[in-house]
Amino acid sequence: MKLTGKIALCLASAFLLTSTAVWSQAAPAPKNGKTYRIAYIARAQGDSFAAWLADSVVKEVKKYPDTQVTVFDGQSKNELIASHIENAVTSKYDLILLQPLDSEAQVAPVKEAIAAGVKVVTVNNRINDATVPAVDADPMQQAEVNAKLALKQIPQNAKVVVLMGPAGNMHSDKRRESWKKYFFDVRKDVKIVGEQIANWNKDEGMRLMEDWIQSNPKIDAIVAMNDNMAAGALEAVKGSGAKTYPLAYGVDGTAEACLKIKAGEMTSTSLQSAFSLAELSVKMSHDLLTGKKVASPQFISAELITKENADKFIKMHKDLGNIK
Amino acid sequence: MIKTMSKRFSDLFLAFMAKLTSKYSIYLILVAMLIICSILSPAFFSAKNLSNISRQISITTIISFGMTMLIISGMIDLAAGSVMALAGILAVATYKFTGSLLLSMFAGIVIGIGCNIVSGLIVTRFKTPPFIATLAMMTSARGAALLYTNGQNIYQLDEFVVYGQGDILGIPTPVIFMVIISIVTWYLLNNTRFGRHLYAIGGNEDAARASGIKINQTKMTAYVISGAFVGLSGVLFMSRVNAGLPNAGIGFEFDAMTASIIGGTSFSGGVGTAMGTLVGAFIMGFLNNIMNLLGIQSYLQQIIKGGIIVIAVAYDIMSKNKKTASQLGNIEERGKEA
Repeated sequence: MKLTGKIALCLASAFLLTSTAVWSQAAPAPKNGKTYRIAYIARAQGDSFAAWLADSVVKEVKKYPDTQVTVFDGQSKNELIASHIENAVTSKYDLILLQPLDSEAQVAPVKEAIAAGVKVVTVNNRINDATVPAVDADPMQQAEVNAKLALKQIPQNAKVVVLMGPAGNMHSDKRRESWKKYFFDVRKDVKIVGEQIANWNKDEGMRLMEDWIQSNPKIDAIVAMNDNMAAGALEAVKGSGAKTYPLAYGVDGTAEACLKIKAGEMTSTSLQSAFSLAELSVKMSHDLLTGKKVASPQFISAELITKENADKFIKMHKDLGNIK
Repeated sequence: MIKTMSKRFSDLFLAFMAKLTSKYSIYLILVAMLIICSILSPAFFSAKNLSNISRQISITTIISFGMTMLIISGMIDLAAGSVMALAGILAVATYKFTGSLLLSMFAGIVIGIGCNIVSGLIVTRFKTPPFIATLAMMTSARGAALLYTNGQNIYQLDEFVVYGQGDILGIPTPVIFMVIISIVTWYLLNNTRFGRHLYAIGGNEDAARASGIKINQTKMTAYVISGAFVGLSGVLFMSRVNAGLPNAGIGFEFDAMTASIIGGTSFSGGVGTAMGTLVGAFIMGFLNNIMNLLGIQSYLQQIIKGGIIVIAVAYDIMSKNKKTASQLGNIEERGKEA
């Protein structure tokens, strides 16, 4: 390689390294007294819900002047999350607020951190160790509120399709289990004409529904384990030239779902509020740091969103800047 | 005398059969699948469903055409899915900012080309293996898409959906784009010096260099064209799903490669056609569609798809032994034409 090439490479790497310093969230120096440092380890910043939760945690921590937070991205990798936990111990953080990716994989690193004297709180998913303080949403309840509504709405002998999250995902499995318990076991007349994994994705939900429409002239309802997949399926219905939309149920309460519910395209969803998760988990963390007793696990409740109350949630998403 | 005659005859017959199975086998497989699928499900063979399949495969197929060119010349693009997402996101952003459909399409294509120029430069200037260079682009482009959107989906695309959800005379717009791109690819590979150089580089890079082909320039051109295709598919994708999804297209590069490989493109370079890729994409499209029509369970679908890929690649390796012979044949034919 020529000398200019070498210099260019050196400059490029120097630029990239210094840019990380610019982009890192520099924490202000403590003014007086003890400042608590929290390491927030997100499951994956690329996941829209996880990103919303991370934002909410950062905002929530600002309400506590004696506390500061740094966000680390787990990128959906268990080994990376483990090393973030180890680094947080080495860097002497006071508390690790963890959004677990896998309930089993994070047990060992969390135990090591606790043994090293760092407090740990989990949020939005729990790990298989009940002694670790946790704040979570109940996936059974999230689906239950929708399933109970569907019980009244889905017609006799209806044909429905079911869209699942990634294989083995705890939230997807629990939501499906809840649909079975509160709907499918009760309504034996309803027939499932298609059930597939769409990996939480809108495009995959859309593609599956396009195929199902070909083999089933009439589908009465879409039961999706999240809103993205339900929205994708509805997009396919729109593309097929159908005049009316089937009933469609999701979970998450995304901006898109709220708009579709308001427009009468989607039936209902339930909100897993990142605000509530952040509020509870940061409060729990602060209580632990200041030596208070906390009850664990704590659950946020799922709110059912229908056409009647959609406006309230659309306003929430507008305030968040997700939609105009 | 009779013995030599009969030997000559049997040789001719074998050569004919070899040509039929090696050159047209992929079309035979497609026709066989069409017939079998039609028998398996009455919903399969209808104008509506075939149009549905074409629409479903159009976006990855457009990526496949670029991928085919790269694989023919012995390169690869692992960043296609990520760059598609970034291009699509920025096209959506451009549309939201300016309200112009044309400008947003232009932006998407420019971003696709821009990313691939970077990959191409790393490959040609720093002699980095394309696998590594595009692997780096894969993470960077995904990061950029996530950074721009802060990990959130973009909604309310209004008119932007015409690219992916519209139709002209009943033919879905993405399908029209796919047809245009397939003709462009066919023309580039068969009727231009650039196309011939791609085959030459993939066949034997040293020989190509010795015969005066500008290797770096050809490789850069291949990346730029492929980038334009990826950018276009990003626009079509976001428009089709009616949202700007920063997580879109994960694994699309592999779908694109699968279509290429099933269509007869060889990872050892120098072999591949536009029509083969199109047929390969339809074979995968038929397969996905029929499995959903029949309601085959998700896990089983993955196993079946894997099986098909293995068969296709095994076939590719088996027919590679014939590759030298058929190429010699082509050269002889060309010699006669000249």
